[in-house]
Amino acid sequence: MKKIIIGDHIVKSFGVKDDQRNVLDGVSVEINEGEFVAIMGPSGSGKSTLMFALSGMDSLTNGRVIFEGMDLTEIGEKELSEIRRIKMGFIFQQPTMLKYLNIIDNIVLPSMRNNRKNAPKIAEKARKLMRRVGIGDFEKRDITQVSGGQLQRAGICRALMNNPKIIFGDEPTGALNSKSSEDIMDIFSEINMEGTALMLVTHDAKVAARSDRIMFMHDGKIVSELKLEKFNGKDIEDRINEVTVKMREVGI
Amino acid sequence: MYNRIIWNDILKSKLITLTTMIFVAVAAMLVSLAAILVFNLSGSLDTLMKNAKTPHFMQMHSGEIDTVRLESFAKQNSNINTFQVVEFLNIDSAQIILGNNSLANSIQDNGLSVQNEQFDYLLDLSGNIIHVSDGEIYVPISYMRDNTTKIGDLAIISGKEFVVAGFLRDSTMNSSLSSSKRFLISTNDFAEIKDLGSIEYLIEFRLKDYSAIGEFEAAYTSAGLEANGPTLTYTLFKTLNAISDGMMIAVILLVSALVVTIAFMSIRFTLLAKIEDDYREIGVMKAIGIHLSDIKKIYLAKYAAIAATGSILGFIISLMFQGILLENLRLFMGKSENSYFAIVLGIIGILIVFLAIVAYVNGVLKRFKKITVAEAIRFGTSQEKKVVAKRFSLVRNRLYSTNIFLGIKDVFTRKRLYATMLMVLVISTFIIIVPQNLFNTISEKSFIQYMGIGNYDLRIQTNTAEKIKDIVKTIDSDSAISKYVVMTTKTFKVKTSNGSEENIKVELGDHSAFPIAYSVGRAPAAENEISLSSINADELGKEVGDVMKLVIEGREKDLRVSGIYSDVTNGGKTAKALFSDNTTSVMWTIICVEFSDKSLVDSKVLGYSDKFDFAKTSDIDEFVSQTLGSTISSVQKASFAAIVVALIITVIVTLLFMKMLIAKERYSIAIMKALGFTNSDIRTQYASRSVFVLIVGIILGTLLANTLGEVLASALIASFGAATFSFTVNPLTAYFLSPLMMLVAVLFATKLGTSDAGQINISDNIKE
Ligand SMILES: Nc1ncnc2c1ncn2[C@@H]1O[C@H](COP(=O)(O)OP(=O)(O)OP(=O)(O)O)[C@@H](O)[C@H]1O
Ligand SMILES: [Mg+2]
Repeated sequence: MKKIIIGDHIVKSFGVKDDQRNVLDGVSVEINEGEFVAIMGPSGSGKSTLMFALSGMDSLTNGRVIFEGMDLTEIGEKELSEIRRIKMGFIFQQPTMLKYLNIIDNIVLPSMRNNRKNAPKIAEKARKLMRRVGIGDFEKRDITQVSGGQLQRAGICRALMNNPKIIFGDEPTGALNSKSSEDIMDIFSEINMEGTALMLVTHDAKVAARSDRIMFMHDGKIVSELKLEKFNGKDIEDRINEVTVKMREVGI
Repeated sequence: MYNRIIWNDILKSKLITLTTMIFVAVAAMLVSLAAILVFNLSGSLDTLMKNAKTPHFMQMHSGEIDTVRLESFAKQNSNINTFQVVEFLNIDSAQIILGNNSLANSIQDNGLSVQNEQFDYLLDLSGNIIHVSDGEIYVPISYMRDNTTKIGDLAIISGKEFVVAGFLRDSTMNSSLSSSKRFLISTNDFAEIKDLGSIEYLIEFRLKDYSAIGEFEAAYTSAGLEANGPTLTYTLFKTLNAISDGMMIAVILLVSALVVTIAFMSIRFTLLAKIEDDYREIGVMKAIGIHLSDIKKIYLAKYAAIAATGSILGFIISLMFQGILLENLRLFMGKSENSYFAIVLGIIGILIVFLAIVAYVNGVLKRFKKITVAEAIRFGTSQEKKVVAKRFSLVRNRLYSTNIFLGIKDVFTRKRLYATMLMVLVISTFIIIVPQNLFNTISEKSFIQYMGIGNYDLRIQTNTAEKIKDIVKTIDSDSAISKYVVMTTKTFKVKTSNGSEENIKVELGDHSAFPIAYSVGRAPAAENEISLSSINADELGKEVGDVMKLVIEGREKDLRVSGIYSDVTNGGKTAKALFSDNTTSVMWTIICVEFSDKSLVDSKVLGYSDKFDFAKTSDIDEFVSQTLGSTISSVQKASFAAIVVALIITVIVTLLFMKMLIAKERYSIAIMKALGFTNSDIRTQYASRSVFVLIVGIILGTLLANTLGEVLASALIASFGAATFSFTVNPLTAYFLSPLMMLVAVLFATKLGTSDAGQINISDNIKE
């Protein structure tokens, strides 16, 4: 299996000299192409920090991140931006949208940079994605005129626009009720089937149960791992049980 | 508790607070200075004219004088308090040598006088009446100002030696705009030298009731008394004395109005941005039941603190600066009697600035009422309708690159906020262009047409009618001369609308040879036409097309008014016609000459002034530069200063604006960076915003400069006597270089202001 991303002994510390704390304490991870990885752990264990580190959004105190053979700690701001724009997709815990753009403009924003000639094609693609996640009618609404769940779906559309190799999701369903959450997870599963790698941070056993592999974090370290079979839409209850048992074992 | 909140807030936004305070300080300084200057000017002027006992009415007269007739007029008229005839000994300026300098190039009519006995005193620099001893001479203050001479110098007047014993203030002739200058010598010396010049008489009156000056003037004219020369009144003396400092005050007032506006703008803009920032907090405070007025108090207190500090600072600076600006005024008019009052006035001025700011902030804070708790907490932004912005959709944008699109869209979405920056840029453009256009206009040679002077090279003026023929003969045979005309000025009587008669000086000759600019109508072209200077037209109540009656040797002649022009010569009261008349005696004659080869002008002027030593020969450039030169150079200085000031304002405000936007929009910037926009993308977006606002600002500013600016400048020039003019615009500087300078300033400030954007950390800022 080809690795898409390799985190090699990542150390990230916050604070000044005397009062330094390693939020990530030598974390090593490898994610295969097309793999669906879930990250679980108590609040403050460093999950979000790990995501920011792996996507090159944050500088590291120590260690390396290799993305498709490139060391992200050594390339410039421009190249890093380009990788994020073309190869990666992001969905944050809170919807992160620009206030003064409407829904569809927010979705096409990263694809439109230096690409306005293709605007009609891009818009068409955005509309297709919006219909797929069930927000086809909200194209022209302001971001303040739709619900939190609808906004989160728009965020997913945005992440999918450039056909990324990997999507990072930091509790993408954290703000949603269980029905919406399930709808969204169905979409994620579909995307994963189509070959996009996923790395989702979650508290929810139902979400993690759909993944291929779960990493458990504690105090800036990966303390345990649970491998599952590729999810094919069946036996979800059994998988959830397995995850719950493991979670109890790890102490979450 | 308020103190702590305010103090923390000020510390957090040091740059913004400091800039706002500086603008307030400069505004307060200018307002205070203007107040101090106005008070001192009027105070000093009153003191000077009171001490000097300035005449209420003065008729200058050259030629024979009938003192007995004047005395009997004075006895009969009940309104006359005192009356005197003063002798003014006109000396050829080339015959006056002060220290090492000769006054040969002076365009002033320089002459000698003795101290008066009853009124119209010549004063020393402490404001006391000068008692002059034999062999001493007192020199007009303007020759001290331009460093022509100093106390102790040897003065040689028509060969007789004097010692410069001091300088004098002359309440009637101090101003550079009044064309005569009096030197003071003793009675003995005057008697000795009397034959070396020509005597001109100043017939002076002080009235019991000055408000009846109109009737008095009419009575004087209808009595047919001596009137061969300009007529001047107390009001006119006052205006002439006040004009140069008045202009300075006018400029300061104009600039202070602009700076006050800019101070308000920057307050408005920091305040709006702050409210936008604190939107959620305000909503939360409202939600938990804190009273609106308590929230307002916090903001108000902060701006009151800034305004108070700025005002006090500005006042202190104005006290430091007042000396420099009062220097000229004190020199020419002396100290004002109660200058402490001026400081009180200055304090009142800054108090008004302070209160205006507080009231303004209070007004802007009214917006709090509109904040609804739900909106604020849920979205952290107000739901103002964005109709225009809606039409700007990224998916339909084909025109601009996405970065430029995002920049322009942001401007349209938050028009209120950007309107502030726009205003500042409009004002800056205005400040750059107007003085520059004004300078171009008045420094152009053709501008003298607006002052009642034709576009010729040389003028020869003489009062001795007999010798005109000689001059004309010489000039006619001079092959270097391409064109010349002879203009004779005569005094006629004009019938006013109420039936009385007044004197009017009419210049007769061919007015088409060296045309002047007409504000309405055209030059007289037929025997029965006349044109009037604007002051005369006003006083006589005539418009173009009206008919007026002149009385020539007892016979009435109807003349149609063909045009009205501006004039600064001869007190602004002139008329032009071309009918022939051999009956009335000539007051003076001017021969206007144009050379085919301009390089000859200097040598020809010298040649003719030697040849016709009885006449006054002057180079027109010299004439203009002595009357207007100081004005032109001060306008030039002012226009350079204006450019510098405007560019500094532009840089500071743009910098402030960008810094603040970046600080406010860390969240949006973090999102864009997370989505793969580079730092240079983001800087391009910000530059698009400022450049877009700048372009609109430059267009509006230029339009405004050419309309409102022209009107303002016209009004300023009108105080000189010229009525209407249009700007001479240098397209290269006005429409290319000035916008270019603004663009460079804005881009520089934007680059500097957005340099922090690269430092914004995604993970820290995306959490909100
Ligand atoms: N900028 C920062 N400066 C200092 N400490 C920080 C900073 N960002 C995060 N931390 C600390 O690092 C630790 C890990 O934070 P992180 O956001 O990665 O936790 P998390 O696992 O995502 O938690 P949650 O499930 O609550 O989102 C926390 O203890 C947090 O307080
Ligand atoms: Mg987190």
